[in-house]
Amino acid sequence: MNTKQYSAKILEVELDNDEDFISFFDKSYIFFQNYLVIINGKESNTIIEYMHSKNLKFIFNLVLPTQKKRKNREVENKQEQNVQKPTEKLKTKSNLKVLDKLVRSGQEINIDGDLLLLNRVNSGGSIVVNGTLIITQIVDGSIRCDGDFMMMQASSKANILFHGVEVDNKFLQDRLNRVELIDNEIVITSALKEKSWV
Amino acid sequence: MGIVIAVISGKGGVGKTTTTANIGLGIAQNDKKCVVVDFDIGQRNLDMLLGLENRVVYDMVHVMDDGIGLKQALIKSKISDNLSFLAASQTKDKSVLDSEKISKLIDSLKKDFDFIILDAPAGIESGYEHTIEFADKALVVVNPEVSSIRDSDRAIGILDSKSKRVKEGQEVDKFLIINRINSKMVQNGEMLNSDDILDILSIPLIGKIPEDREIVDASNQGKPIILSQDSQAGQAYKRIALRVCGEKVDFVDVESHKESFLQKVKGIFS
Repeated sequence: MNTKQYSAKILEVELDNDEDFISFFDKSYIFFQNYLVIINGKESNTIIEYMHSKNLKFIFNLVLPTQKKRKNREVENKQEQNVQKPTEKLKTKSNLKVLDKLVRSGQEINIDGDLLLLNRVNSGGSIVVNGTLIITQIVDGSIRCDGDFMMMQASSKANILFHGVEVDNKFLQDRLNRVELIDNEIVITSALKEKSWV
Repeated sequence: MGIVIAVISGKGGVGKTTTTANIGLGIAQNDKKCVVVDFDIGQRNLDMLLGLENRVVYDMVHVMDDGIGLKQALIKSKISDNLSFLAASQTKDKSVLDSEKISKLIDSLKKDFDFIILDAPAGIESGYEHTIEFADKALVVVNPEVSSIRDSDRAIGILDSKSKRVKEGQEVDKFLIINRINSKMVQNGEMLNSDDILDILSIPLIGKIPEDREIVDASNQGKPIILSQDSQAGQAYKRIALRVCGEKVDFVDVESHKESFLQKVKGIFS
């Protein structure tokens, strides 16, 4: 199997009537030449022909999990948690710890809350955090994180557990990654690029 | 007052004792009074490398426990008048060490010498902790291999948490010696490269020592390699000793492999 991954810019358009749509694109099609246009509305031949004539790439009625929706979901989750344990949520929020310390072999950093680590974790070093974890340099040691998400770049030596599940560090190499739990699945994305699909 | 330097590595067999012997001698040859102390109680080796095996009468434990004077126990090197040696006990074990006695011993050594070099035992047990307890500086010896680097990393971590200086809020300066660099293997990418090692350990480099087969023979004969003028490793130790004394010496590239004309000719015919 052959796969390719792309990042693309996307323009999403509501299609109410063809005339408005065409007049809008007559004015501005030049800006969207390298975009993927998602047209939400009724598929019609005039629109398809028009889009082809302007050499625009397009697709009809594709639903993307947008930032907005994801935020909403997070808010919902938070609200639920707020109802359950309001004090605990507040506590982890105010508990961010920032460390600039090389974690050497045999050293263990155990933190109740969130951690931002500005140095590396060497082979044999260990970090246990029950909140969010961000490490800005390479991780060779072992990581345990139970928070909303974690961000790091790891080498092949690292041993990483996120919510008790081992993260394959083959996916964490060569870039800064964001690891999060979405619908009970661990999702790893590059932290440096916008999330986008084609 | 003298400066106390611990030579540490975590892992055994990476060249701590060889380094101690050579740098001690190098400092002495640079007209500084230097004493090397073997802290590897129960497994002393430093006497052999310095060629002083047959002259050990009293050791460190005799000084600490049996009231023998330091002057009686210190052995002057045959090679340099500036270099003295204090042996470790071969019959006792590490449990005889205790902080108070070591503190007293080191304080009296500090009065007489410019540099006190302590050869730490391998491992991170009590013997190691006692060695680093009163150190002002540390030389960390590593080989370019992952196990040595991880053990040194651990040793540095312990040094940073358990030495007296750190407990008083000061820092112990640590310097890295990369030992046994095989230039051919580094160039082929089979050996860890020094930049990576420095990245991992993040302490400043004080010298790199190329692998040298003559070292084995030099150790067996009790003549440290630093005495050999044409040995690359000996010269590397000499430069490190000067740097320890505070002199500025340019770094020499020991990683790029250069074959002499003769070696090239030999290579053609072999």
